[in-house]
Amino acid sequence: MPLHKYPPKIWEVLKLQKGIYARLPQHYLRSLQDTTPPTPVHWKPLGVKYRLSPKTGHRERVQDVPVPVYYPPESQSGLWGGEGWISGFRYAKDDKLSTRLRKTWKPQLFNRELYSEILDQKFTVTVTARTLDLIDAAFGFDFYILKQTPKQDLNSKFGMDLKRAMLLRLARKDTDLYPDDPSRREKVYNRYKQQFEIPEEEAEWVGLSLEEAVEKQRLLEKKDPEPLHHSLVKKLVEELTIKKLSEPQIVEKK
Amino acid sequence: MWAVAASRFVLQSCWTPTNLKFSLNRIQNLSQTACKNTVIVERCWKIPLSKEGKPPRLHPRRHRVYRLVDDTKHKPQDKMELILTQTVPKLGGRGDTVFVKKSLGRNKLLLQGLAVYPSQENKDMFAEEIRLLREGRPEDRVQTRTGQLTVEFLKKTHLEVPMHSSIQYSLTKEIVCRWFLRQLGVVVPTHALTLPEEPITGPGEYWCNVTVNGVDTVRVPMSVVPFVEPSQLLLMKKQEKQEQSDSE
Repeated sequence: MPLHKYPPKIWEVLKLQKGIYARLPQHYLRSLQDTTPPTPVHWKPLGVKYRLSPKTGHRERVQDVPVPVYYPPESQSGLWGGEGWISGFRYAKDDKLSTRLRKTWKPQLFNRELYSEILDQKFTVTVTARTLDLIDAAFGFDFYILKQTPKQDLNSKFGMDLKRAMLLRLARKDTDLYPDDPSRREKVYNRYKQQFEIPEEEAEWVGLSLEEAVEKQRLLEKKDPEPLHHSLVKKLVEELTIKKLSEPQIVEKK
Repeated sequence: MWAVAASRFVLQSCWTPTNLKFSLNRIQNLSQTACKNTVIVERCWKIPLSKEGKPPRLHPRRHRVYRLVDDTKHKPQDKMELILTQTVPKLGGRGDTVFVKKSLGRNKLLLQGLAVYPSQENKDMFAEEIRLLREGRPEDRVQTRTGQLTVEFLKKTHLEVPMHSSIQYSLTKEIVCRWFLRQLGVVVPTHALTLPEEPITGPGEYWCNVTVNGVDTVRVPMSVVPFVEPSQLLLMKKQEKQEQSDSE
């Protein structure tokens, strides 16, 4: 017995196909559709489809099933490097016949000041040790934000906001960065330009949540209604001038 | 259409059944990289194998029971590689690649600008600088940190060259280099050494010039003395001691 015309599961998807959602820029909609899962952080993937069974030595098919991770709201305002809470159970004494106990594994968080070269600013960020390692591996904070991480690995609204700000800086190339030191500005721009430069129109939309994007689109489309008398007055003035010009001008002879 | 996840949950969703196909590719790419500084868990109960392309069925209770495999927080930390931009005591001079503890690197060297990351760009820059130092014009060359230490050491030293007085000799560069190594522990290549113009044929006070890294030249005083056998030297020292004790 169908209760709805469309099943509720696809409502979210259908929503994107009409109204203001459909008028959002194509590159933004494409970025929403990218659903690659994040890099496994809290579990070890086998990474193969088949393997030799350790018991029998025969080939067997295996499957990687991810461990679900909960990302609390605080993770969105820090850079946790893909870490989150694992909430579940454990067995006391690691014994299956023993009691099952609730357990939540949480990452250890640090507050660190990180310096961004492109924005020329320091940020006090909540990070994990994994984030620091990833920054070292990427050779710098800016490279980590820009290159290393797709959206689902960065997994932070703050990180995506930083990314958007950096990309806008690179796209605009204004003189706000190091106003007294043009050579250094040029150096910084050149270092990141080749790999990360994208047009300004695209950079503005990077990392926006759907609500923000819709609001942005609404403001772009918004037009105040023009009062009718503006156009009518204009029309009248035009008509009068034409009328006046068409009249024969009488010049009296003296 | 089904593959498009709800955009609202893009950040939150870690895994949905439909993208298992993509997940395999991604996992295979990244399986070599080790996870660091994080808790790693595994399920206590094995998950029954599902059909290909279908999500596995998870038991609501059993498959949420995890076993802690590894907590990388308690593992020994490996060191980090950096390139120094200035002379740092006990570490090295400009352009040296050093391996330091992560805390030292992050909290001191990188923070104070004493070092940079060993990215390809930085590596090329410092390699170019070192090449210029070796091959560039003599005015441009700058003494390295260890070179400066060597110069300081050589300024304080005095070289003694023992020679047999029974045979006719004239002092060559090779002999002096050998005695530099034996007496002072300094390796001096022959092209870095300059002796006085007139040949040295007898004992006396002389000098020699040592050029360090082709930049700084130090004049080291050198005295040529008659050679004494080591066993005889010991005897002489003993006698001196005895004489001293006698006189006291």
